[in-house]
Amino acid sequence: MDIQLLTSGITFGLSLGSIFFLMTIGLSLCFGLMRVISLDQLLYYSVGGYITYSVSLLIGNLWLGVLAGMAVGGILGFAVERLVFMRIYERDITFSMITSFGILIGGVGVIKFFWGLVPRPVPVPIDSQIDILGTDIPVYRLVVVAIALLVYGGIWLFLNRTIIGKAIRAGIEDVEHVEGLGINVYRLFSITFIMAGALSGLAGGLHAPLIMVDPQMGLEVLAFAFMIVIIGGLGSIKGTLISSFLVGQVVSLGSLVYAPLAQMAPFVLMLLILLLKPTGLYGSPLLKR
Amino acid sequence: MNVLRWWWSLVLTFALLALLRVFVPLPFANEIMIFSIYTVGCNFLLGRVGFISFGQPAYLAVGAYAAAFYFYYFGTNPYVGILIGVVAGIGVSLAVGPLFVRLRSDYFALVNLALAVIIYYFMQKVLVDITHGDNGLWFLTNLSSTPVLDLTRPDEFFVFALLVGFVVWAFYKYLDDTIYGACCLGSKINEDKLKFLGYNNYSIRLVAFVIANTTTALAGAMYAVYLGFVSPEITSPTRAADPVIVTILGGVGTLYGPIVGAIAYTGMKDVLSKVLGNWELVIGFLLVFIMLAGEKGIWGTLEPLLLKAFRRAPAPGAAGESKVGGR
Repeated sequence: MDIQLLTSGITFGLSLGSIFFLMTIGLSLCFGLMRVISLDQLLYYSVGGYITYSVSLLIGNLWLGVLAGMAVGGILGFAVERLVFMRIYERDITFSMITSFGILIGGVGVIKFFWGLVPRPVPVPIDSQIDILGTDIPVYRLVVVAIALLVYGGIWLFLNRTIIGKAIRAGIEDVEHVEGLGINVYRLFSITFIMAGALSGLAGGLHAPLIMVDPQMGLEVLAFAFMIVIIGGLGSIKGTLISSFLVGQVVSLGSLVYAPLAQMAPFVLMLLILLLKPTGLYGSPLLKR
Repeated sequence: MNVLRWWWSLVLTFALLALLRVFVPLPFANEIMIFSIYTVGCNFLLGRVGFISFGQPAYLAVGAYAAAFYFYYFGTNPYVGILIGVVAGIGVSLAVGPLFVRLRSDYFALVNLALAVIIYYFMQKVLVDITHGDNGLWFLTNLSSTPVLDLTRPDEFFVFALLVGFVVWAFYKYLDDTIYGACCLGSKINEDKLKFLGYNNYSIRLVAFVIANTTTALAGAMYAVYLGFVSPEITSPTRAADPVIVTILGGVGTLYGPIVGAIAYTGMKDVLSKVLGNWELVIGFLLVFIMLAGEKGIWGTLEPLLLKAFRRAPAPGAAGESKVGGR
């Protein structure tokens, strides 16, 4: 394969993986701490994309739009957590899966109501290209990768260096113990949800210039989101990072080899990994509470 | 008397469905029949075995494409086509079942979805020479008429769908009464206890998996015959949750839930998309509401009320018994 094609393919895969990481980290965190499958994260992803579109149309600055998308994602996450998830924490996992899927579908309806059915283009904020190994790479894609890595670093610092983060990590291990220490776990749950919503909004905002925003965008990535958290192991942040980049590369390089592979290869990868290691790459053998 | 009591609700339901034919347009009635057969498998998996399956379209496509290949390349008899679809459904679920049923419920949902996506791309891109990709296979004119129930005519197709539905529902009602049905429920509620009682959890789940997905494949083959055309759209990932939504709407684990759910879902889709333009909004929030209100669904809420109302008037014996029990 020709080196230029390969370089651009790898960059494309890295940026796609970064988006996937930001999008699924919320899902993974929510599962780890609260044992709920929160598919509504994909709604915040779409909303983030649309807010970015509207704000950048209004003000002309995409970065402000992304920030607004993050804020709205976080607020929405908080509201949904208070209104819906508060009532279903004790229930079965399938229960939260179906309920959050309902929120996702309903939210798609709301998006259609406000923004209409037509896909909208969002301008790319950085037009310039950079020369790597004789290939022109759009700088924006590299910026996206950098942001994702920064977020990973930030989350790592938050979970390992702050007291709230440590409490969240302890909660992932054993929530009753944390409660016994006198920590309000419901506050931890809310914090996690706000973080997850904001990061999903960030993913949508950053993805918007690369694709067009369209009401179905959350549903289109649903299968990929599922797949990434499964490959990485539900609840593991490191696993999510690795599997996002893995899936990003498989999609991007697979499409260079043979176009239909782009969509199918990740699923084959997931089937294989699940059959070899049913808990995913970094998942602990999870006990249902 | 017992035999009568066993059959009356089935007969009543399907008589009502036949009556539905008078009030709603024929395509709508046919759609409802096929959709409810499509959903009953998902309902069985979710309500009886505790497997939530986001991959039902995979088996729908297996049935539909098996029938479509037969019509397009080999024969013309619609009944044979449906039979081939069912056999293909059994074959595929026997092939993937042993791997899938070992997984936990949430992972099961995902691998099933993965299978649906794989079949989607197989039909759309990989086997494009045979399946004609997104254009689909058109074979409406290939179907031959049969003397008794002519499936090429929509009105006679409805009678056929009604009969098939009746048989399917009688079968699922019968399953509920058997020890096997109880075992399925046991594997949903308390796996360990079932093992302790000496049942093989794995084979119970495998049989349930095969039964449910064969029903779904049957619905797929019926879609193929009814529409006269099959395209990869039938298994597209964006429609993966349809059967789950219908199951929840109707009421998980209730016998007639899928029918009620299918009527509600198809009806809402038809009416609301004309009035509001976005029916997802209503479906989505209705789903959330139903889950929060106790996940009983429409039929799950109505059934006890109806039974109560019926018991009061025509069957004093039953009411009397319960009174004695109460004392």
